Amino acid sequence: MKFKIKIWHLLFVIWILFLFFRFNELTDIYNLLFSWINLLNNNSDAAISQLNFDLADVFLSGLLYIIIPLLLFFLRSRINFLYDELTFASFVLTILLISFLFAPLITNRHPDFYGNIGMTKLLPPLSSVKILHFKVKKKNYNSSLSDFISLRDKVVKKPFDENIEFADSIVINKKIIFYQNEIIKEAEKDDIIFKDEEPLITTHIFLLGSDQFGRDIFTRLIYGARISLFVGIASVLISLIIGLTLGFIAGYTGGIINTVLSRITDMFLSFPIIFLVILILALFGNSLFAVIVVLGFAGWMSLFKIVKTEVLSIKNKNYFISAKMLGLRKRELLFKEILPVIIVPVVVNLIFQFANVIIAESALSYLGLGPGSNYPSWGGMIQAGQEYLSSAWWMIVVPGLTLIFTLLSANSFGISLNKKLNPQLRND
Amino acid sequence: MSKTSKLLIKRIISSLFITFLIITFVFFLIRISPGDPSQKFVSPSLSPGLAEQVKDNLKLNEPLHLQYFGFLKSALQGDLGISYNYRRDVVSVIMDYLPFTILFIGVSFVIQICVSIFLAVKAVKKVNGILDKTLSSLTLFFYAAPVFVTGIFLLLIFSEMLNLFPSSGLKSYDFENLNFFEKIIDYANHLILPVITLSLAEVALFYKYLRDNLEDVYNKLFVLNLKAAGVSAKTILYRHVIPNAINPLITIAGIELGIMLGGTLIIEVVFGLPGMGRLTIDAILSRDYPLVIGCSLTAAVLIIAANLAADIIKVKFDKRLLTGSLE
Repeated sequence: MKFKIKIWHLLFVIWILFLFFRFNELTDIYNLLFSWINLLNNNSDAAISQLNFDLADVFLSGLLYIIIPLLLFFLRSRINFLYDELTFASFVLTILLISFLFAPLITNRHPDFYGNIGMTKLLPPLSSVKILHFKVKKKNYNSSLSDFISLRDKVVKKPFDENIEFADSIVINKKIIFYQNEIIKEAEKDDIIFKDEEPLITTHIFLLGSDQFGRDIFTRLIYGARISLFVGIASVLISLIIGLTLGFIAGYTGGIINTVLSRITDMFLSFPIIFLVILILALFGNSLFAVIVVLGFAGWMSLFKIVKTEVLSIKNKNYFISAKMLGLRKRELLFKEILPVIIVPVVVNLIFQFANVIIAESALSYLGLGPGSNYPSWGGMIQAGQEYLSSAWWMIVVPGLTLIFTLLSANSFGISLNKKLNPQLRND
Repeated sequence: MSKTSKLLIKRIISSLFITFLIITFVFFLIRISPGDPSQKFVSPSLSPGLAEQVKDNLKLNEPLHLQYFGFLKSALQGDLGISYNYRRDVVSVIMDYLPFTILFIGVSFVIQICVSIFLAVKAVKKVNGILDKTLSSLTLFFYAAPVFVTGIFLLLIFSEMLNLFPSSGLKSYDFENLNFFEKIIDYANHLILPVITLSLAEVALFYKYLRDNLEDVYNKLFVLNLKAAGVSAKTILYRHVIPNAINPLITIAGIELGIMLGGTLIIEVVFGLPGMGRLTIDAILSRDYPLVIGCSLTAAVLIIAANLAADIIKVKFDKRLLTGSLE
């Protein structure tokens, strides 16, 4: 029997890799979580005031790191896809999902982190810089809070860090002399953290290079996956709700409502919808929320058509008529009688819709109308890279290829799901 | 009255209605949005009276319904107002930019149809052959890739690395000194990459539909019958298979033209081309209300005209549509 790599193998390998390379970070996270819970018991106001998105993000990824494997392990007989063969599409989608959930674990820096811009900007992939660590200046808090805060500063990454300096090369004499791009700087030995009698010098490798502000592209890619996935899933859900409701209403009541809704759908389908999206975002302001809502409202048409045609054909079937005669309410009719029938085309359509939303989101970010500069997004990275086309190819190639691979995987996942779930297509 | 013209008139009336709806939608969308276009002409802190005067001039102080009816009245007379940015008639501004976009889409469209038909015919000759398999994975790739990413990758490869084509704009800096033929070559040089970018995704889509259709038609019994009757392979292909397979393509082509118009929007930004797409985006971003409405009207008319043309051509190919037996 030939051995096939299955999806759970990949998940297991990733879990082990995390354990191996991020053991210290993981223990720090759990320490932080325990000290936060302690703080919550003693001084609940302070604990809650400390809880912001970044902290919650770190806690969640730490908890999910334990919960998800346990869940998968105990429910393994129920979750069939774990035993599917690993294809390119499922590989890419799994990696994306993991970057979505575990972004703070995968990279150990903030997506907007920059040090000395002159030294780290536009570095090609795989280049590295040395980092000198300075001693942390103690701040005065009351005792229970100070432990928590010093631990938090270690775990939660910030966009700046005054306690480190980048250096090309470092010479240690009485003083420590380090070079930054032909600029010579000095530091006292007392200020620097020592480890085993030697000054602590680490290297940071820019795996996929750095951008024009010296930010790590790999990190931004991981966090950008978050934005893309989040926008994709959220706006697809909005489209699902609108398309399902309108399609059900149009198909169920028929008549003039059906005609009007179908005409409106045709109108939206024939008009390049990206134009309206740009118009609305430019006029009413763009934010993460606005992008999600507008793209959600822009994508309900194909779902509406599917639901409407299916409902129109189901409406005259005997089982549906008898369910109606039994006195089921409209909502019950929709969820119990119609949804199970149309679930396959709807799910497949949702996946293609997801790919469309990701394209639209990146195009909007490219035009400067995306979720905004607060979030790293693939489209925004490509837009920034176009300015440096001649000097820094990696700024375009890396996010561009990521985008293409994501969309390819989503498309082929949709196609294979359609084949798998649709019995008419299965027997070739 | 013939059935064709009846169908045509019905289509035109419903298209006009849709255009009217789109324009109304865009009009009210712009008017209820926050932001004040008069601020571009005069800072409100400078003199409130002056700002009010500008607003009066632009008719922005009138009640919304009066603005709307005034706009409709002048639009019916072919007057779309004065562009705030260009200080010129909107129609004349659009006429400056429209020819380029029509040329751009037209050239790309012809290339798309020719290339996809050529490739599909070649691929179907040997189903599941090497060419067929490479093409199907390549088309999947280009169908999935967003146009602006394809465009930038082409720029990176052909403009930066190989230095074959200019990277942006439509004219070289010494354009005025060139003679007629050199001018055409210069245009072509600047347009090759954008046209390829626009065409790649659409070729992928057309190819996929056409290839599947061709395969379906080849497997039909009448083709077997023709083969048995000793008709040559060429005649079967050109007289019988392609006309039967091309029909769904025409509908898709009509719809795709609208999507292409959205695609040019971004391609023109990527390559810095002076077309409707960039005009529209600039107008939207600078709140040039009359120009935004003019651009959306143009887009709507273009798309509806394309759909109408597709319908007419389809009827020419398939007379059954006239009786409504396929609807």
